[in-house]
Amino acid sequence: MDLFTAIFSPKLMSQILVGLSRTVILFIVASGLSLILGVLRIPNIWHGSLYMVGAFMTFTISGAFGGGSMGFWMALILAPISVALVSLIAERSFFQHLYEREHLMLLLLTFAFSLVFGDLVKMVWGLEYKSVPVPRVFQGSVHLFGGLPFPIYNVFLLAIGPVVAIALWIIVNKTKIGKISRAAAVDREMVGAVGINVSWVFAFVFMIGCLLAGLGGALVAPTVNVSLGMDHTLIMEAFLIVIIGGLGNVWGALVGALIFGLAQSLGILIWPQFGIVFPYAAVIIVLLLRPTGLLKSTW
Amino acid sequence: MKKAIYLSVFMVGLLGLSLFSTSSYGGNTIKVGIVDTYSGPPATMSQDILDAFKLVVNEINAKGGVLGKKIEFVTRDEKFKPDIGLAMAKELVLKENVDLLMGTISSSTALAVSDFAKKEKIPFLVTNSRTEKITGEKGHRYVFGIAENTAMAGRAAAKALSQKPYLKYWIAGDDYEYGHSIAENVWNNLKKLKPGVQLVDQTWWKVGESDFTPYITQIMSAKPDFLIAATGGATMVTFAKAAKATGLVSRVPMYQHTVIDYGIMGPLGMDGPEGVYGTAPYLFYYPDTAANKAYVEAFRKAYGRYPQMFALFGYSAAKFIEKGFQKAGAVDKEKFINALEGMVIDSPVGNLEMRACDHQLQLPMIFGVTKKNPNFKDFLVASDIVMVPSKDFMPTCEEVLKTRK
Repeated sequence: MDLFTAIFSPKLMSQILVGLSRTVILFIVASGLSLILGVLRIPNIWHGSLYMVGAFMTFTISGAFGGGSMGFWMALILAPISVALVSLIAERSFFQHLYEREHLMLLLLTFAFSLVFGDLVKMVWGLEYKSVPVPRVFQGSVHLFGGLPFPIYNVFLLAIGPVVAIALWIIVNKTKIGKISRAAAVDREMVGAVGINVSWVFAFVFMIGCLLAGLGGALVAPTVNVSLGMDHTLIMEAFLIVIIGGLGNVWGALVGALIFGLAQSLGILIWPQFGIVFPYAAVIIVLLLRPTGLLKSTW
Repeated sequence: MKKAIYLSVFMVGLLGLSLFSTSSYGGNTIKVGIVDTYSGPPATMSQDILDAFKLVVNEINAKGGVLGKKIEFVTRDEKFKPDIGLAMAKELVLKENVDLLMGTISSSTALAVSDFAKKEKIPFLVTNSRTEKITGEKGHRYVFGIAENTAMAGRAAAKALSQKPYLKYWIAGDDYEYGHSIAENVWNNLKKLKPGVQLVDQTWWKVGESDFTPYITQIMSAKPDFLIAATGGATMVTFAKAAKATGLVSRVPMYQHTVIDYGIMGPLGMDGPEGVYGTAPYLFYYPDTAANKAYVEAFRKAYGRYPQMFALFGYSAAKFIEKGFQKAGAVDKEKFINALEGMVIDSPVGNLEMRACDHQLQLPMIFGVTKKNPNFKDFLVASDIVMVPSKDFMPTCEEVLKTRK
């Protein structure tokens, strides 16, 4: 009985839920990164900037629609789409010419893009901190497990996570373009040889990946301070997640995000002063045991 | 052969460049070199300081300058990197021949530049860094603290909090020097003023943390009487949002230095959390004096927004440069420093004295709690304001000078 109450203590349960809702954002962003890494072989450092742009777009769009709930829903749809369009333009005009080059070149290009976008965001949106209001339906908290609060917005995030995961699974596994892109990930020359326009498949995958970054940014916007520099923290975490999950494996991103998110929230419970250390310690342990990541890498 | 040609072209180019850059050395201006962070999250504060500085400098120059010389300034974005910041300060002094240095939000950069300023005997006005080491243990003749430091903020907050009935405290904050320094200063002084207080536990998260819910559930389940939240910069807004969404603010009262500032409450709009205690050396709506109103009006006219608390530092720095050189009677670094010691300037918060013993500006501290106010329709403001005068919390000259030994 004691063990039972210890395991199912309200604190632990609510900490797990909190960890899971954090996992949702990490998964959405990291899965996009992993998708691009797997199919296009681009270590996309620019991904973090697109996440930031997604958050800033959410601020602008929700403001343009009056800042209420309506604004938030419009932003949730339009912000990721606009990010995807930006990425499509970048892919068509820059990235597509570099696929044959080494990874280092692509890495440099995405790094350059992240620097340029850092300044662009500063020019377009200015320096002041920005805040997107939480839509009225999601304001406040529900009280679960012994009265500990859980923000309603996090409940919404928990619901969104599986939706995105299923949609992604359908696109990757059930659609023709998904199948082609998986084939192209394994052998792009062969796919080209059977008469498929690989270039546009890549453009599509790149766009979907970046759309996910934008969606992550849009979803996180109401909970954080929308400000310059939010790209830096995230891109590092996203890369760690992708690495422990297995490079290029979208489900690896899910597993990685779960480990990262839960290690953090449970770490805080165990040892609050050193809560920050836990997710990184988890990464180290995973890499010691499985240097290539938990799931099969496409690289 | 080809290589030699390239090399010579390069050398000629370099020569031209160096000629060009030294050509700005004229002596008809007083040149200020500003090293600060103008990119990333801290940029909003640095820009506020710069805007306020510009406003006063333009005014001075319109009147004909100081000693018949215009004040000119150059800025460098150090991107929050101490090594880059120090290199830029060196470049400004050695190549741009600036007469004095100003900046920087990064405490590490500020300390590195301060060390350089000491060696080069260049006055350095620290307008942004909050570390108490600047005018404390690392203080020297050439450095001046214009911004409030963590010792001042912590001691002022401790003074105000000691009047409150809370006993069981929790400390949480950003895991970097600023966070720890604020928390330590509040806590150590609170313990001295009110020996009955006890620390339940503490939590530290990494700088730039975006999800505070796990930390907050932990804090709430421990049920402390009061929370000292030692957050800074961009984290202020995120933490305030999380504190509201989880209901933390309504259950555990808390203190955050600078939370009452417009830079934090402005972006949050009417969704800002009510009931958070904060301190700030200046607010655009307090003190409610004609001088402050006129200043805010001028600032709004120039930039189309309200000044944040940081504007006070840009304003003060410009005033000290004007008055300092006026009193010195020449563009002489040593005379300028002598002039600044003990100098009093007028400001939107009233008269401010540059303490001669440690070169720290004596700022008052406004203590208040966030609340909706019918006079401000777009954001929350501080209410129940107590203005703690600097003499009530400033470390004494003896205390400061003891740390320098």
